[in-house]
Amino acid sequence: MKCKSVLLVAIAIATTATAANAQFRLPVIFPLGRSSPQPSAQPPAAAVPGTVTQGALVAASGTDTIYFSASGATLDPTATATLAAQARWLLANPYATVRLEGHGGPNDSRDYALAIGDRRANAVRDFLVLQGVAPQRVTVLSWGKERPGKVLIGQTLVAAGPRVVTIVVPSPAPMPMPMPTPAR
Amino acid sequence: MILFSIPKLPSAAGLLPALLVVGSAAVAQAPEPTAQVIAIPPLATVKITDTDAGTTWGLANQIANLISADLKLSSKFIFADIQKVRIPSYPEVTAPSYPQWRSVGAKLLLQGFVNARADGRLTIGCYLYDVQSGRELARQGFAVSTGEWRRAAHKCADMAYQKATGNAPLFDSRIAYVAESGGEDALVKRIAVMDFDGANHTWLSSGDSTVLTPKLSPGGDRIAYTSFSGGKLHVQVAEIGSNGDRPLLPASDETFGPAFSPNGDTIAFSMSNAGNVDLYAVGAKGGFPQRLTTSTAIDTSPSYSPNGRSIAFVSDRSGRPEIYVMNADGTDQRRISFGPGDYGSPAWSPAGDKIAFMRTQGPLSRIGVMSVDGADERLVTNGPSDAEPAWSPDGSRVLFQRFDSASRRTMLATVPATGGEVKPVPTPQGGSDPSWSERQE
Repeated sequence: MKCKSVLLVAIAIATTATAANAQFRLPVIFPLGRSSPQPSAQPPAAAVPGTVTQGALVAASGTDTIYFSASGATLDPTATATLAAQARWLLANPYATVRLEGHGGPNDSRDYALAIGDRRANAVRDFLVLQGVAPQRVTVLSWGKERPGKVLIGQTLVAAGPRVVTIVVPSPAPMPMPMPTPAR
Repeated sequence: MILFSIPKLPSAAGLLPALLVVGSAAVAQAPEPTAQVIAIPPLATVKITDTDAGTTWGLANQIANLISADLKLSSKFIFADIQKVRIPSYPEVTAPSYPQWRSVGAKLLLQGFVNARADGRLTIGCYLYDVQSGRELARQGFAVSTGEWRRAAHKCADMAYQKATGNAPLFDSRIAYVAESGGEDALVKRIAVMDFDGANHTWLSSGDSTVLTPKLSPGGDRIAYTSFSGGKLHVQVAEIGSNGDRPLLPASDETFGPAFSPNGDTIAFSMSNAGNVDLYAVGAKGGFPQRLTTSTAIDTSPSYSPNGRSIAFVSDRSGRPEIYVMNADGTDQRRISFGPGDYGSPAWSPAGDKIAFMRTQGPLSRIGVMSVDGADERLVTNGPSDAEPAWSPDGSRVLFQRFDSASRRTMLATVPATGGEVKPVPTPQGGSDPSWSERQE
């Protein structure tokens, strides 16, 4: 009786071990420190020269979103690196215009969230203009805390919080240029 | 609604048979120690007439019930048991039989009449008597359309409330707020307005674009609010009762967070100029804005003092958002908040001596009240997500928004200005950004 149960246990261990070997599962690996937003659900469209799309901006500069500390509006090195890439993309695509959407935090008062979202968006605007982007190609809108947003980090949705998102605004190309055909 | 003075009881032609009141005896749930005993019998009517709002006799009962319901909310009254009392006949409205009211222990007697007019409207009068001394304290009369009888009842309740407590009127007032529907991630926000007791609820905007911070004008006839319509953040001014709705300024930089001056002629607001948010003031009908603040920090959330000479606002010039006070022309700016955490959304009390605010420490935000010099700061709610305070017109309560974790919605609630029990304010949907104002007109 005792012999039999030991044997059973031994078999159980063997089977689990083989199963584990068969499909070894890595743990989910979370990046530590500053969390980057999940890449958009559909992979960004390949940056076809001449297309002015959100996907092209993301492909060229890594992300369209800059994050801030809870009460700050200053750009950290990660942010300036991203924005420098966005500025290069804007200079390479002279017919693209962008709208910078600033956001406040969920615990700010209604008015203060609008004000600090505006301040953040203007900090990004100032940086892009310093990089040589014409001011009239950049507009600013503060959403306050009205579009809280969620970011998938690993498996969990987390409030996106204080950030500025660069939105590419479709604008018609000037007449002399043929309209670019969308890549399919 | 037309207000008129009552020289004497109009056309006391018919005598109503004495009727016994049934079942309107009610005792206030938690009257204050200084509460006074009041008797409110059904109103009298000279002749039972059919109107668009039912018979005048039915209205007489409804009006008395609404006056009682109003006064009960204040917890400043105890209601005399009038089941055993003969209800006043029409001539008795101006000549009360004091002994029977003394017999039920009443100190105050509120009674009146409702009559149908030849033009289809109603005449409603109410009288307040001091039962002990047998003296008339006040009287008011109104000519109203049949749809407006609730306003006359609220006015009668206001008359008794003012005379008995010395407070400013409260019951003929409106609440404007942002009605929130849809899920947490896709909130639809619409401006809504209702009587303070939830009656006459209407939505003023369609929900096509996000709207914020509606502020009722002092008379309660206009609403200034923040709108995202057209993809641009700007202040709009809407007229209640007509379809008037226009931007405060023609094409401009981002504007938001409006506040009416006490006379309703001026609107203070925030405007962004290349990332620098400052306070400006402009005539409510438009004009050239006057700049009030010039700091390189954020200056926002203005609230006028009731005498119109000062403005409380939020500035982060010290590094964190704090409450400041300045003269209405922008001079003499000084900081008044020095507690821990971030301050926001100051609201100057109707009596002019207090400022309500929200204070955020980490994830916890609560409502507080302080003196206008920053002394006697006191938090009156426990959070965890209370925000955007607004005063009741009499200054006795603070209306605010609270996140209800059970329903995952933001709701409206009130709390006594000195702290105490939080009472929910029922709205058809979720609610935020409240504003409360007494009606005039």
